[in-house]
Amino acid sequence: MKWPQLRRNRRSLLPILLLILALVLLFPQRGEAYAGPGAGFAVLSSFWTIFVAFLYSFYALVTWPVRQLLRLFRRRKAYGQAQVKRVVIVGFDGMDPELASRFMSEGKLPNLAKLRDSGTFRPLRTTFPAISPVAWSTFQTGVNPGKHNIYDFLARDLKNYLPFLSSAQISEPKRHLRIGKYSLPLGKPEIKGLRRGTPFWHWLGKAGVFCSVIRVPATFPPEKFPGVLLSGMCVPDLKGSQGTFCFCTTRASSDKFREGGVRIPVEQNGAGFHSYIPGPEDPLGTGSELRAEFKLRPDTKRGQARIEINSETFTIKVGEYSEWIPVKFKAGMGFTARGICRFYLKEISPEVEVYVTPVNIDPGRPDLPISHPVTYSIYLAKLFGPYATLGLAEDTWALNEEVLDDNAFLAQCYGNHEDRERMFFDALEKTPQGLCACVFDTTDRVQHMFWRYLDKDHPAVRDVPQDQKPRVIQDLYDRMDSLIGRVMQQIDDQTLLLVISDHGFKSFNRCMNLNAWLHQNGYLVLKDGKSESGDWFEDVDWSCTRAYTMGLNGLYMNVKGREREGIVEAGAEAEALKEDLRSKLDGLVDPASGKVGITGMFDCDAVYAGPYVDNAPDLIVGYGEGFRASWDSVMGKVTTAIFEDNLKAWSGDHCVDPRLVPGVLFSNRKIAIEKPAIVDVAPTVMKLFGLELPSYFDGKPWAVAAAGDK
Amino acid sequence: MPSNTPLLLVLAISIVIGFLMVIVFRYTSDQKAIGRAKDRLKAHLLAVRLFQDQLPVVMRAYGRILHGTGSYLRLAFTPLLIAILPITFLIVQLDRYFGWLPLQPAQAFLVEARVEDPAALNEASLQLPPELSSSAPAVHVPKDKEVVWRVVAERAGHYDIQIAASGQTVSKQVVVTPGLARVSPVRLKDHFWERLFTSGEPALADNSPVQSIAINYPPREISFAWMEWNWIVLFFVASLVAGFIFKSVLGIQV
Repeated sequence: MKWPQLRRNRRSLLPILLLILALVLLFPQRGEAYAGPGAGFAVLSSFWTIFVAFLYSFYALVTWPVRQLLRLFRRRKAYGQAQVKRVVIVGFDGMDPELASRFMSEGKLPNLAKLRDSGTFRPLRTTFPAISPVAWSTFQTGVNPGKHNIYDFLARDLKNYLPFLSSAQISEPKRHLRIGKYSLPLGKPEIKGLRRGTPFWHWLGKAGVFCSVIRVPATFPPEKFPGVLLSGMCVPDLKGSQGTFCFCTTRASSDKFREGGVRIPVEQNGAGFHSYIPGPEDPLGTGSELRAEFKLRPDTKRGQARIEINSETFTIKVGEYSEWIPVKFKAGMGFTARGICRFYLKEISPEVEVYVTPVNIDPGRPDLPISHPVTYSIYLAKLFGPYATLGLAEDTWALNEEVLDDNAFLAQCYGNHEDRERMFFDALEKTPQGLCACVFDTTDRVQHMFWRYLDKDHPAVRDVPQDQKPRVIQDLYDRMDSLIGRVMQQIDDQTLLLVISDHGFKSFNRCMNLNAWLHQNGYLVLKDGKSESGDWFEDVDWSCTRAYTMGLNGLYMNVKGREREGIVEAGAEAEALKEDLRSKLDGLVDPASGKVGITGMFDCDAVYAGPYVDNAPDLIVGYGEGFRASWDSVMGKVTTAIFEDNLKAWSGDHCVDPRLVPGVLFSNRKIAIEKPAIVDVAPTVMKLFGLELPSYFDGKPWAVAAAGDK
Repeated sequence: MPSNTPLLLVLAISIVIGFLMVIVFRYTSDQKAIGRAKDRLKAHLLAVRLFQDQLPVVMRAYGRILHGTGSYLRLAFTPLLIAILPITFLIVQLDRYFGWLPLQPAQAFLVEARVEDPAALNEASLQLPPELSSSAPAVHVPKDKEVVWRVVAERAGHYDIQIAASGQTVSKQVVVTPGLARVSPVRLKDHFWERLFTSGEPALADNSPVQSIAINYPPREISFAWMEWNWIVLFFVASLVAGFIFKSVLGIQV
């Protein structure tokens, strides 16, 4: 009998096998108690699991009173004067108070409306600038950016005007052993966190308050503290980038993606195809890029394809994602880099096109630490299966470049979101007392990419009639409201629920290249004969340049003694230049639309205070509603046009005048403050747990009503 | 025969069985479900460690570990059912080769015959082929309805001894060899299951006055790793190790 047939007959076979087993067990002899290594493993590993669990539990039980005693003093500090048993913070990156109000007034978002009616709903003042890593760094440290050193996603290297990631630096191991053509790394890559300040959960942890922290931005690399933490935004992919997707296609094209992705050719081989996923650089120093090759065999009749990569074989249909697939990048001498990715089959006929997500660090076997303790990411992977670990896991670039369509992007977003919900509810269950904080970034990504459907005049969808525009953002808010509803069901009166966002959102329909403006107004000078510059100031003549911009909101002066080729004297000359720029840029009008492109220019010396102010830009540019730094300007490119339409799917943004984009604050308790700010969250939570506040905090604790107080 | 032949054979069989059973396990089990069940078990174990200060969480995790272990064993049950029949049959057969040492020339051994009727004890007699000889008078044990003879073989060979009682004669195989041979330590009447697992000979006739004839073959011990092993224990350990290696190499969830 062939095995498939046997499988079909399993039901009729089962009673016979059960009978045999029963007889064997009834008449035991020495040999038949063992039914091969499979059963042996099952029995042994079950026994082992129970044994280890018993040991663990025994240890936990026996040492619990001792540990409780040891912590008693600290706990007394924490819980003795605590006004709450638990604080749950649900962060919705980018949830907009105006939109939330609008939807609630339309009778939607019943759970958030309930919080508004029985507790608190206020706009939450954000940071300067209103950018996630900046705002969430302030949220966690309770200080302004001058004290935590994060001013943007990118910071500039004063030696060469090139950008680097502002939150973390990953560098090669210092020592290598040279063997022939290989340079063998001795040790692990060095990861240095650049965010300064102490997250408030460190203070809570030290005082004996248990904290579960999930995917709060700017928590990579994870720092040690008495609690568990999974890093979020700023975790790199396996290549070390903030997300590089791979688009494998048989269509010949010499076009390169602007950012965030690579195009890889797919070669035909008989009835099948083969291609590869580019991986990290060879750790053995050969200078080459590691690759994971895969084979694809399309089945046009069924509209699907079988993909073979490493030892994995799976089938996906056109228009569907695979599960997370483990990928190995083999280097020489037994070195292997491991990650996970998902495949999305775009087309199998007449051409073959496959999108592959950035290769995420495998949470079950992390090559870099992405959690504290390291076992926490493993725990989550074992409990729920592999999940996206990349900081910016929702591939906005792939949608921008039209590699993914709206539906594929949304499927990716909500797939990740569901994983995070599972993690969050697990953390909620595991933290019956203490702090449970989780940031969901789906709200940010979906609003960035689908705001065009809310804005009837958005240039990216001008031709789509308003009644045919999908209601993506309404649906997003509904989902988040439903999440809050489920949280409310799981908390009691002794739990304070805070629903917050780091900033709001506005339409982004006009791009402004501030470098172009600086050039046309004589502040930035190009090399002779050049009318434009490539990325990262390729053609800028620094010896004559007084000001430049890179990143989303920072404007820098080329200061002598600070920048490598600075020409502006610090002091009076710099102050005069700053004032000059402020006066000219504040209120700058876009001639095409007649709207104000910049509604505020903020002097960082006035906005920030702290030991890291020297690393800040000189001015923060507050773009007006509908405007933002152009894609080119962000990357240090100088173009001829100052203003242009934004035709990308990335159609909503918050990198504008921070006064225009406050976040939200919802709570299940009354909070007596008119203008709360994100910087107040840390001192508020610490005070609720009865802790003394560090003197350097910039935030002020809110007056939170006791449970049941009206 | 070299003295380490049984060891090598047991190890070789263990490796082959280890491989085959892992393959059988692969194709008769729900690999994904087993992988998930094992992962969840590991997660609950980690939870005990990660949340050790939260006693209710630890206790809940412990409960989930017990529940998860049950689920895991349930998933391993189907392949266990499918594997148990051939493996049992194989072990029974191998036990006849590796479980007992054949008799050696000049080595005395006992022939024990149990009869139905104690009255038949006095008339029971042993008839030996020329190569075997009785070295002591028969001993009667009426309490156990047994008669015992002490016998010595002069040289190697496969022999049939005859026992006559109540007018009937029954035979029993005796193996005398310095090498590895299939031996049957007992010949039985009825006792189907005992016969299936321990006897390598046809059943005695239903009307036979003799219930069983046993030869006291010495049990075989195999020297390995400075220890004396029963072959089944060695098979258990070696096939587990082999299975573990093969499952890791082949990426099979067990």
